[in-house]
Amino acid sequence: MSSVPLSAFLVTALLLFCMGLYGALTKRNAVIVLISIELMLNAVNLNLVAFAKYGVGASIRGQVFSLFTITVAAAEAAVGLAILIALYRNRATVNVDEMNTLKK
Amino acid sequence: MNDSFLLTILILSPLLGIVLLSIMPGDHRFINYMGVLGTVLPLGLTLIVFSLFDRSLSGVQFKEYHQWFELMTSISPNEPYTVAYDLGVTGLSVLFLMLASLITFLASLTALRIKESAKGFYILFLLLEVGILGVFASENLFLFFLFFEITLVSMFLLVGKWGGFNREKAAFSFLIYNGIGSILLLIVIIVLFVEMRTTNITELTMLLKDTDSLEFLSGSTRTWLFVLLLIAFGIKLPIVPFHTWMVRVHVEAPIAVVMIHAGVLLKIGAYGLIRFGVGFFPEQLKEMAVALAILGVINLLYGAFIALVQTELRSVLAYSSISHMGIVLLGVASFNTAGLQGAVFQTISHGLIAALLFLLVGVLINRFQTTKLEELGGVASQTPLFAGFLLAAGLASLGLPGMSGFISEFLAFLGLFEAMPVIGAVGVLGLILTAVYMLRAVLAVTFGERRTLFDNNRDLTAVELVPSAILLSIIIWIGVYPQVLSNTLQLARTLGIGG
Amino acid sequence: MDYVFLIPMLPLLSFLIILFTRPIYKKAGIVGTLFTGAAFLCSLIVLFSHFAEGNYIVEANWFSLDTVIITVGLEVNPLNALMLVIVTLVSFLVHIYSMGYMANDERYATFFSYLGLFTFSMTGLVLSPNLLQLYMFWELVGVCSFLLVGFYFYKPEAKAAAKKAFIMTRIGDIGLLVAIFLLFWQTGSFELDVIFEAAQAGDIAPSLITLIAILIFVGAVGKSGQFPLHTWLPDAMEGPTPVSALIHAATMVAAGVYLVAVTYPLFSVSEVAMTTVAVTGGFTAIFAATIALVQTDIKRILAYSTVSQLGYMMLALGAAGYTAGVFHLTTHAFFKALLFLAAGSVIHAVHEQNIFKMGGLSKKLPITATLFLIASLSISGFPLLAGFFSKDEILATTYGDGRYVLFAIGLITAFLTAFYMFRLYFLVFSGNSSTEARESPSVMLIPMMVLGALAIVGGYIQTNWFGTFLGDWLETTPYSITFVHHEAPFWLPILASVLSIGGIALAWMMYVRKTTSIKESNERTGLHELLYRKYYVDELYQVVFVKGSRVIAYFWMYVDRFIIEGGAAVITGAVKRFGQAGVKLQSGQVQTYGTVAFSGLVLVLLLIAVLGGYF
Repeated sequence: MSSVPLSAFLVTALLLFCMGLYGALTKRNAVIVLISIELMLNAVNLNLVAFAKYGVGASIRGQVFSLFTITVAAAEAAVGLAILIALYRNRATVNVDEMNTLKK
Repeated sequence: MNDSFLLTILILSPLLGIVLLSIMPGDHRFINYMGVLGTVLPLGLTLIVFSLFDRSLSGVQFKEYHQWFELMTSISPNEPYTVAYDLGVTGLSVLFLMLASLITFLASLTALRIKESAKGFYILFLLLEVGILGVFASENLFLFFLFFEITLVSMFLLVGKWGGFNREKAAFSFLIYNGIGSILLLIVIIVLFVEMRTTNITELTMLLKDTDSLEFLSGSTRTWLFVLLLIAFGIKLPIVPFHTWMVRVHVEAPIAVVMIHAGVLLKIGAYGLIRFGVGFFPEQLKEMAVALAILGVINLLYGAFIALVQTELRSVLAYSSISHMGIVLLGVASFNTAGLQGAVFQTISHGLIAALLFLLVGVLINRFQTTKLEELGGVASQTPLFAGFLLAAGLASLGLPGMSGFISEFLAFLGLFEAMPVIGAVGVLGLILTAVYMLRAVLAVTFGERRTLFDNNRDLTAVELVPSAILLSIIIWIGVYPQVLSNTLQLARTLGIGG
Repeated sequence: MDYVFLIPMLPLLSFLIILFTRPIYKKAGIVGTLFTGAAFLCSLIVLFSHFAEGNYIVEANWFSLDTVIITVGLEVNPLNALMLVIVTLVSFLVHIYSMGYMANDERYATFFSYLGLFTFSMTGLVLSPNLLQLYMFWELVGVCSFLLVGFYFYKPEAKAAAKKAFIMTRIGDIGLLVAIFLLFWQTGSFELDVIFEAAQAGDIAPSLITLIAILIFVGAVGKSGQFPLHTWLPDAMEGPTPVSALIHAATMVAAGVYLVAVTYPLFSVSEVAMTTVAVTGGFTAIFAATIALVQTDIKRILAYSTVSQLGYMMLALGAAGYTAGVFHLTTHAFFKALLFLAAGSVIHAVHEQNIFKMGGLSKKLPITATLFLIASLSISGFPLLAGFFSKDEILATTYGDGRYVLFAIGLITAFLTAFYMFRLYFLVFSGNSSTEARESPSVMLIPMMVLGALAIVGGYIQTNWFGTFLGDWLETTPYSITFVHHEAPFWLPILASVLSIGGIALAWMMYVRKTTSIKESNERTGLHELLYRKYYVDELYQVVFVKGSRVIAYFWMYVDRFIIEGGAAVITGAVKRFGQAGVKLQSGQVQTYGTVAFSGLVLVLLLIAVLGGYF
């Protein structure tokens, strides 16, 4: 199996994370923010899996971690979307910059 | 007397009232009476302590000592810092305990008028009493500080919720000024604790007197500690210019709370200054005696002059308190037996007189709904008993012989004239001014043409007459036979100083 | 003499009984009179046993200060015993008189309780063997005076007068207080005996003694209404007239003279202090007499006369005339108390105090008029009456002491006194009357008659003809004071009599015969206005002290309000600003927070990388 070098995985994950971070910090639509957070999580997953395969002390643990992350991410998405829907019903908007009622 | 739990019981006794009050429904008819009953138990216990206190012995009595917790430090792992639960009374503190529980009891009687959420009021009131009793019964700086903070919190709530029109502002300035005072006090306590490895007051007094202790605390450090202590208790006393909070509290707080505030809480400042300032740092005090005396004269004259032009009785009395506390400073600054004794006497005497005056102000508010001097006048024709008491209290305050104010001022100035005759000569002018502003205020209320605005007003009722009569008779008793205070005080033994 | 303690205790009991039974018991007057009468009897017995047994002192521990034990006690010596008799006698007579005068007052009982308290304080003052106790009673009599001046509390004038009386005397008291402090630190005691021994032994520096003596004199000036603290005494006439007789004529105001007499061993050491006393006394005497010339209120004339006579006593003491001062104090107590009681009787009858609105009352009030005449003659120094002898004694002393200017002032004052007293007498009693008036009840007249008798014969206890009983007795003190006696020049009594009669004659010509060209018109000009306005001293004090202290007070109040509170406000304001700046950072925008947090992380990582040397 011609091996793809570890650095390729890491660069991909880095790009993915940066895209996610950019999206999470700049997009106004809360749905897109959530999706961007998923992107960042997946970048982390990719790192975990890559190190589990090619890392110094390669072992199955990294893959187990990523499974946990996927589970938590699913739960987070569910809760996040639920809050979003509740908010949308109340405020008729999904813009994050309008969600600042706690400040006042 | 090491096994006695009397002081613990005394300090915690108001809690019984708090528990009983909290299980009563808030709209119960007798809720106020329950609150009053809550202060009777501490009064009774204090009377027991007062009568059991052995006046022929020196030193601390009714000692209680339990190790509380230890602090390990990385600097000296084998010698942990020990904090103890450490109670005890000296001749000085037993007098203040007596003053505190007596005035709390009498003040609770005047609070019978409170209708709005009386339950909460009395609960906080009794909590305040726990704090005050604890402050005077602590033999330990740590405990002292703890109880001191309890008084702050409960006082803040009492002023903020049941006060007058500007109560919130008054409560906040009370909290901020006293908070700053507590921080400074805390710094002193921590430095002493770290350097001397103990927070026991008597032990500290002995240790600091020992010249060997100079290797732990150098002279300059002590000077700083003394200055911090002076500011901390100076805010409480109060010393000009840290006094504005106290005027606000005097004017805004409910009468029962002002009685305690003027009668007891301000006295914590004097107590702290005498017990810790004089006890721990006598050398520093001697060095700064002149500055202290000048501060005292400023307090005395400043308060008196401003009281001269106030148009509201409560403000007059507030500034009069500032003026009278100046005499305490003068007594302390003179640093001889006469002066220090005068300072203690003045503290106690002013506590009683201020409580009496504010009790009567409470009656005034109840009957006439005002304390503005120009709206009052000629009340002697309708309420002669009230007018008589007000006049007597005013005369006591201006230092009439035969009442407690005279002997206090006399001793304080006697001491001052030995140490600093020139400052004393300036200070005695304050006594003239005291007469001027006190008579102006009291006569504006009682004498003069009767205002038809206030017709059909009842004279003192029994519940007002009894506390007034108790306070006035104690004031006269001390004035006629001051030995009753000095017997208990045993000042030289308590502080370990000689004339 | 172990029952001496009864003398102050009986009036105190009277005070307490009346105070506590006031609402239920209506016989306050009888109670007060009986107790005071008993005190008077005790004083008489004490006086006579003093002749037999000599001085007496009893002391008890009161208070300990370090090793110094402060005592309270009772002392009887000639001066005390004499004062005791005067005080209790006048008090007793005033009690009787008041039962008539105050009969219709609704605060009848309160009045008698105050009288009891006053008598207690005054006898306590007189019996004090140490300065601290003396000072305590000194203040107490001041308070009683204050309470009684303000007895008609609903009158604004009474309120102002009471306040003024208290504050003016308080100013003097502070002088006395400072003197006591200084003496204590010099001698370690408040006991008069110890202090005098130290002073005579020269343990106190002479300049300090002078200072102390002058400070004590300041106290006396306040109490005895001497210049410049005299203005309260005429105003104190707002009180009920019996009070004016008791407190503001016979006893309390004489306490200043008594104080100087008691501390005489201190004064006698310092020549400067003696001169101060003499000059102040002499100046006050003529100063007050000139004011009395033109006043129109019957009680105020008598008040200025009191000030003037007290000045006379001070003059005597300052001129080394210990006996003369005390002698005049005694006779003055009798005739001045009588004058006030008689004036009270007039006021009681006509309800008027302006002498120009009275007249011809001698027909309506024959007994009062006769008694008033006796007292007026006595105070004017009419030959062979009490005032004649005591005034002569003072003049002789002043002359003998070589103070010729003061002697001249004394002579002029004697002439003025005779004139203003008879101006008063003629305006009130002579001529024709239209007003309705009825003679006072006998309960008021009898005490006046007793005083009238004493105003006639009181002088014979000290005369050059029958013997100087009073002087010989008073001068039996253990201290080495050199009592100087100057034989009066033969022409002095004659000169004094001529001046006295001359004053009376002038008044008679002006106000009865109206033959002189000098007339008192309603439009006052020049000197007359100046005198009528009492040399504008009140106005001056009003501007300088009252306004002055208010200016200082307002200054400090604005400092308080703007600088101190303002300073605190600046600090709290700054803290608030700082907080508000922080609030701006908290925008509520999650994404901003995220950006800041992320940039922070990057910065920290960079820092670690750079500082850790990973680059």
